[in-house]
This record gives sequence, C-alpha cells and structure tokens, in this order.
Amino acid sequence: MKIKKFLFFLVILGNILLLSGCWSKKELTDLAIVAALGIDKNEEGRYVGTMQIINPGNVAGGLQGGGGSQGPPVSVITGTGDSIVELSRRASRKLSRRLYYAHTNLVVIGEDLAKEESISTILDPLERDAQFRSTAIIVIAQGSKASDIVKVLTAIDKIPSNKIIKTLKFTEKTWGENITVNMQDAVKMLVSPGKELAVSGFRLSGDVDKGKKMENTQETEPSSSLYAGSLAIFKNGKLTGWIDGETARGSVILLDKLNASAFGVKWEGKDEAIIYELIRQKTNVMVKMEKGKPRVSIEVQAEGNIGEASVSTDLNNPDVLLKIEKEIEKKIKKEITMALKQAKKNKSDIFGFGDALHRSNPEAWKKMKSEWNDVYFPEAKADIVVDAFIRRTGLRNIPHQVNK
Amino acid sequence: MSLFSLSRKMKKLKLQKKNAQQQNDQLSKAIHSSLQDQINYIKEKTGNSIDIVIRKLQLKDGKGPDVAVVFVEGISDSKAINDFLIESIINKSTVPSSRPIFEILFEKVVALGDVKEITDWDNLYLSLMSGESIILVDGAQKALSASTRGGEQRSIEEPGSQVTVRGPRDGFTENIRTNTSLIRKRIQNPNLWLENMKIGSVTKTDVSIMYIKGIAKDEIVEEVRNRLKRIEIDSILESGYIEQLIEDQAFTTFPTLYHTERPDMVAGNLLEGRVAIIVNGTPFVLIAPAVFIQFFQSVEDYYGRADIATALRFLRILIFFISIIAPAAYIAVTTFHQEMIPTQLLVAIAAQREAVPFPALVEALIMEVAFEILREAGIRMPRAVGSAISIVGALVIGQAAVQAGIVSPAMVIVVAITAIANFATPAFAVAISARLIRFGFMFAAATFGFYGIILGIIILAIHLCSLRSFGVPYLTPMAPLILANMGDTIIRLPLWAQKKRPALISSDNSNRVGDHQKPSPPEGRGMVNSVLEKGDQDEN
Repeated sequence: MKIKKFLFFLVILGNILLLSGCWSKKELTDLAIVAALGIDKNEEGRYVGTMQIINPGNVAGGLQGGGGSQGPPVSVITGTGDSIVELSRRASRKLSRRLYYAHTNLVVIGEDLAKEESISTILDPLERDAQFRSTAIIVIAQGSKASDIVKVLTAIDKIPSNKIIKTLKFTEKTWGENITVNMQDAVKMLVSPGKELAVSGFRLSGDVDKGKKMENTQETEPSSSLYAGSLAIFKNGKLTGWIDGETARGSVILLDKLNASAFGVKWEGKDEAIIYELIRQKTNVMVKMEKGKPRVSIEVQAEGNIGEASVSTDLNNPDVLLKIEKEIEKKIKKEITMALKQAKKNKSDIFGFGDALHRSNPEAWKKMKSEWNDVYFPEAKADIVVDAFIRRTGLRNIPHQVNK
Repeated sequence: MSLFSLSRKMKKLKLQKKNAQQQNDQLSKAIHSSLQDQINYIKEKTGNSIDIVIRKLQLKDGKGPDVAVVFVEGISDSKAINDFLIESIINKSTVPSSRPIFEILFEKVVALGDVKEITDWDNLYLSLMSGESIILVDGAQKALSASTRGGEQRSIEEPGSQVTVRGPRDGFTENIRTNTSLIRKRIQNPNLWLENMKIGSVTKTDVSIMYIKGIAKDEIVEEVRNRLKRIEIDSILESGYIEQLIEDQAFTTFPTLYHTERPDMVAGNLLEGRVAIIVNGTPFVLIAPAVFIQFFQSVEDYYGRADIATALRFLRILIFFISIIAPAAYIAVTTFHQEMIPTQLLVAIAAQREAVPFPALVEALIMEVAFEILREAGIRMPRAVGSAISIVGALVIGQAAVQAGIVSPAMVIVVAITAIANFATPAFAVAISARLIRFGFMFAAATFGFYGIILGIIILAIHLCSLRSFGVPYLTPMAPLILANMGDTIIRLPLWAQKKRPALISSDNSNRVGDHQKPSPPEGRGMVNSVLEKGDQDEN
C-alpha cells in the first residue's frame, strides 16, 4: 500500500517535471539585454524606439577569445510603430534574440516628443510591463533626438547607459544642478495635481556619426561625448522649458534634494572670494492661506565648510564667520528666488507647493486645485529664510599671504 | 474458500514442523556426559577447524576424571589460558573425595575473574566463539567457561572522521569492551547502565546499549531494546546494519541515528539522555534518538567559547543550504530570473555563457557529475595514485573544461563552492544526503526556476517535519518549539545558561546546571587595591 502511494507520488512528480518542460525558460544566450531605451517621434508621427543592446562578449573582460575590445560594447537597433509595444515587437525583425528589458535602467525621451505630447502616454506601457523596472531613470534628450543620445559610445563606462546614469547620480551628489528621477517618481509627480515633473536633460556634444564609432572611445578627449544638461520643467506632462545654472540649483534646493555643492560669495569687495562647500541641506516648505491667498514659507538650513578663501581673512574669528554665513545665506536666497521666478513664469509648480497646501489646508486646496498652476501658484508670495552654518574652515585657518 | 483453507493448512504444517525441530534442538542441546563424546561433538560441530584448540589434561594428583580445555586460538588471550587455566589445573588441583570435581574447579582452581557454568551446547558455542575458554569434565553434564577474551586489536587512536582542534584525542576501536570502557572512564557513575545482547543468527555479534539510568527516558530505552530484539538477520558487520534495521523512516536521505567515533561525543549525548548502541567490530557507535540540529553541532562547540560556536553554527546552516541549492540557484538565475542579478554580473555571466553550447541545466549536470566522479575516484583510489586524481581533476574541471568552451567559469565557481560547502558540513551523514538532494533541486530549478527551488524547500521542510527518531520529532526543538532547549540549536548559549536537558529526550530529571553559575569578577576592587597599596609600600 505504502509502495503504491510512493509510486503514485513518483509518477506525479515525474509528470510535473517532464510535462511542464522548462516553462518560460529563457537561456542567457537567447537574450538581448537592453541597457537603454530611447523614444522619439518621426515625421510621420510614429514612435521610433532605439534600443541600446549590450554585447556581453565585448563588455566583460573576456576570458575566452582574448580581450573584448574588438567590437563595440553595445549595439543599437531601432523599431518603428504606432505604439511603444508595437515598436518593441516590430524590432524583433531586426534581431536574433529576444528583447529583454529587465535590465533597462535608462529611458531617454526626445525633446520634441516631450514637447509635443504628454510623457505619461510613453510611461504607461513601460510601467505596465512586468519586465521593465520602475526604477529606470528618465532623462530628456536636450537639443537632440533620443536616438542620438543612445547611439553614442562612451569611454570610461563602456556601457553608455551606465555612463549617463552614473554621471547624473554623481553630479547630483557633488554639484546639484541635476536630479535623477526614476520612472516611479515621474509617474508619482505626473499624477499628483500639486506637483509638476522636473527631469534632468542630457546633451550630446559633437557629431552623432562620429560618436557611434569605436574610434570615439579611443581618443583621450572624445570628439562626441554626453554630458548632463539642464533641468526640464513639465506642465501637464509636457515639456515647457529648461532651467539651468544657479536657477537649476535653486530648484534643487527647493526640492530638498541638494546633497552637496559649492557657493562662491563676495568678500571684501572681491567676487567669489570665499567658496562655501555645502555638505548638508534641509528645506522645509509650508504653505498657508492668508487673506484667501496662499503664502509659502521656505526655511532652508545649510551646513558646510570653507573650501577656498582667496582674500586674507581671519577665519579664527567667530564674528567673521558669522558675517560670511550671512553672505552665504544671501546667495542661497538669491538662487531660490530665481528658481521660484522661473517656475512661476512657466506656470509650473515643480516644487510641490500644491502638495504642501493640500497637507496644511485641504479645504482651500480643493477649491484651488484646478487652477493652481495657472492662477494661484504664480501669485503665491514666498518668505524665504536661510540659515547657513560653517562647520569647519578646512585644514588651514588664515589664508596664507604671498610676500611680494 | 479452498485457497484460504489451503493456506491455513500450509501454515499448520509449517508450525508442526517448527515444533518438531525445536524439540530436536532441545535434545541436542544437553551436554554429553562422556568427555570423549563431548570432544567429538565439538569437533564435528566446528568441522575440525584447526584454530580450535582442545587440550586434554590430567589433574595434579592423577586421580579423578579427565579434564579438557577448549579455546579458539587468536580471539582468546593465550597467556591467560596458559598461566591461570592450564597451569593451575595441572599444578594446583587436588581432588578431595568429599566434593565433586566440578565445584573444586569452579571455586579453587580456575584463577580467572569471570567464570560461568554452562549446561547446554548453544551457550557453550556462544562462549567459545566469543573467545572464552571452555573447561569440560568427564562425567559432568555441564561445562565451565572462563573469560579469556583477547587477541590482537587496534590500539586507541585519534578518530579519522571527526577531527577537532581542541578536545580529547582518543577514538573508538573495533573492540566493544574497549569502547564501553572509554565511555565509562568519562562518566564514573553507577547509573551508567550497559545491556548486552547478541544479534545476527550467524555472526552472533555483541551489541550493547548504554544509557544513564535516571537521565535517559525509560520509554526510549525500552523502544531501543525492543527494536534491537526484533532484528532477525544473519549478520551484523557494522553499526550501519543496525541503523538500517531500527530507524524510524526507511525512505529518507536524512539520517535518524547519529554515529560517531568519539567517546566524548557519546558521553555528552548520554548525559543529554540519549542511548548509545555499541556494536562489536566497528568504531562507529550509534546514538539514538537523533535530531536534525545535532548534525550541525560539533563537540568542539561545547569546548570553545559560546559566541564563536554560535557563529560557526550559523555558518554550518548556511553551508548546508549552499551545498543544496547553489547549482540550482545558478540554473534558476541564468534561465529564468535574469532580472535578479545586477546588470554587470549578468553581462559577465552572459559573456561567459556565450561560448557554451549547452543549456544551463546540462552545463550544471556535466560539472556536478564530473565532480562526483572525481570525488568517488579520490576516495577509492589507492593512496599511491591518489594525487594523480587531484591533478587531473584540477586540470579537467578547473581549466580545460572552461577553455574548451564546455562550461563557463561561473559554473566552475558554483561547483567549487558547492563542493567545499559539502565538505565543510560537520556530519558526514547529512553531507551525503545534501549531495543527493542537490540534484533534485537542480531539476526543480530547471523546470520552475526559483519557484521550483522554493517548492523544493517546502517539500524538504515538510519531509523533515514528518521524520521521527525513536518517536522524537526530527526538528525538535524548533518544531515542536521548546524554548527551554533553543539554547543549544543554531545558537549555542554558554553552559551556565543551558539549564535544561532536551525535554523530549531526557526524563524529568532535567536541570543540568545549578543557579548563579554565571562567572563574574570578585566584588569590589579589594584585590587590585591591595596589590597597588603593597606596591606603594614597597616603593617607600
């Protein structure tokens, strides 16, 4: 009896193993690992997708075949279609492998496409797909087509999509004019009525056709290269403008996303005489209703070191430091004001003041919600309070004097 | 109906035959009275084997009946026979007419510790074949057996299978008496009880069960005793025979009895209330009941510091899982779940797999089977050619297979890690079962990916839960959860914190450490201060 049971169990087990037959199995050698996806629109109004596919043999320091530097680390194929899914499926006609999107960490959207239509239509299929990662980072191809950004080869990080992602991450950490926004964040901002989308742009310098070739990466100074661009401001999902420089940094401060940066302040009559290395920053935004109008109070706390002092000053003196702090505060306040002004001009609340109001006064927000971006946000008055603090002055206190 | 009655008739017939045979046996059992008959019978029964020595003797004064000493050469202690048996019979025995010769021999002549009276042939042969000497007397329908067991045996050496850095160096030998003595030396307590029985209709192997009365649970001892008594087999050549005949669940790869070569380990287990089964002729002693977590413990855990032992136990559990699922996880990741590993690693693996012509499962099977072959060859090869195996193996597995493009370097790493993990499992019995289960997991992974692996782990867990060792659930004390005993599982608490003996295994006498055993420095700083003061005074 027991043996019968055992045999029965064995037969069932065997059937499960044999009949299911490696269900949904996909061998590594049958996969085209897509590192980046670029999306444009062509003249006929159809979507053009550019897939950057990793060439594993040429990336990994090859054991077999001796060194993998013969071919390019990535290959690019394009697909055209009336929808994103269609273009992806249609692209299979040009490829010997199955497109595999689970490692796609970068989505590049063409500037023209972003201006023309809401990017939520592009993000929908990507978000819906089980393979696609919601942590994929979104950038806008500034001043070029998305396909151009995807096609250019880069030198140090062999896979260009990695270069773009890492560039964004590190510049965000050290300079702070850019932010990295992934798909999840973008969708969150798109659906939230109280906050508009702001995404970093990426630019191409030089010629695309040169950038496509391996020779490009074999130069010490590649003639075509990719670099982080300005900050794209969206309104209702469409690109309305770019902000860059100090304005962009002001926006990042307002978004409470500044990790580190360097501010130059005027001291003893000399511009940029003292450089303040910001290491920590916290921004609090409160929105209150005052006489039927929203009033924004912004509090910024900054902490940092003196990174450079080109004028002779007694940095041992706390009073001097306090005065320098005042200057820094002025500088930060100026940048924030510039950012606010620009956003108001574009009528796009990228800072999430609407959300802040929603939290503090839901009743009022309900009334203003529909016209927030166009009417109330540009009118909103802002009180900006900055508190900068110098933690250290570096390894040297008083700047050295050159004897002339 | 007719068939039924026929079978009943057959049974009856068999029963009658059996009864007749038994009666016959009984008749033949009684010892003959004539010495010559006795000797002839022994010769006939043993086929005149030349190692059976029959020495006829005359008593000292030449009066009285003839006496014969019978022993088996090689398994008995010839010095003892010569000095205390033959010598004293020839030189010391005088026969007063008042008492029968047999009693005189028993009480005055035979100068050995253990002397028994035997009245039937069966016992006579048992004694004779276990190395005792038989003294036959003409005219007496009984015999004397004197314990002269001996012969060549291996000395006590360091056990080969469970080596420790810290701990006693002695290991069991093939001699059952030596083995029990090694345990007795460690537990000097009259409550350490030893029961002997002979198992094996042909081999008549000595099997002892050893336990501490009052700590071991009576039900478990009774169960062990019953299961041993139940055994009907012609031979017991190793304790593995016993293990296979008394384990709770036959269809499992997991061992439900622990076996060890270390007396300190047996002593430790006896003190936890377990029962040891010692078999003559093998250094491996069985311990029952055994629970799963025991196979991840080493005696050294108890000799070293608790924190390190705990860390090592975590490592061993990890090792067990690695040795089971590492190749399966590789298959699952490369054929189903490419999204689970970092892009860079995926690209690296993909680059290696680019040249490999087989699917991941086949690749893994090739390497695993190749490794198993190597390992088997390494164990069986004569020592002189053993080193050739490792060189060939290293070349074939390590390099040539990769360069030939048959397997990827990543697979080699996986196989190597699995193999090392398998070797690192402290109990060989569990390591071997992990070796087998691994292949099941590989097929499950190739069929369903990680889903299959998880299913496999669930099945494994259910199976482990269903196992019993002498009635004790295999996963005790995790399932059923016994918090008081959790201190000696994956974590190993310091000895002063392990107050209770294993609840389901030992009897109610369950406190093993006294209260307030946690060591601490003396209170106050008196000692230190006095030294300092003394130092000050010395300076003055």
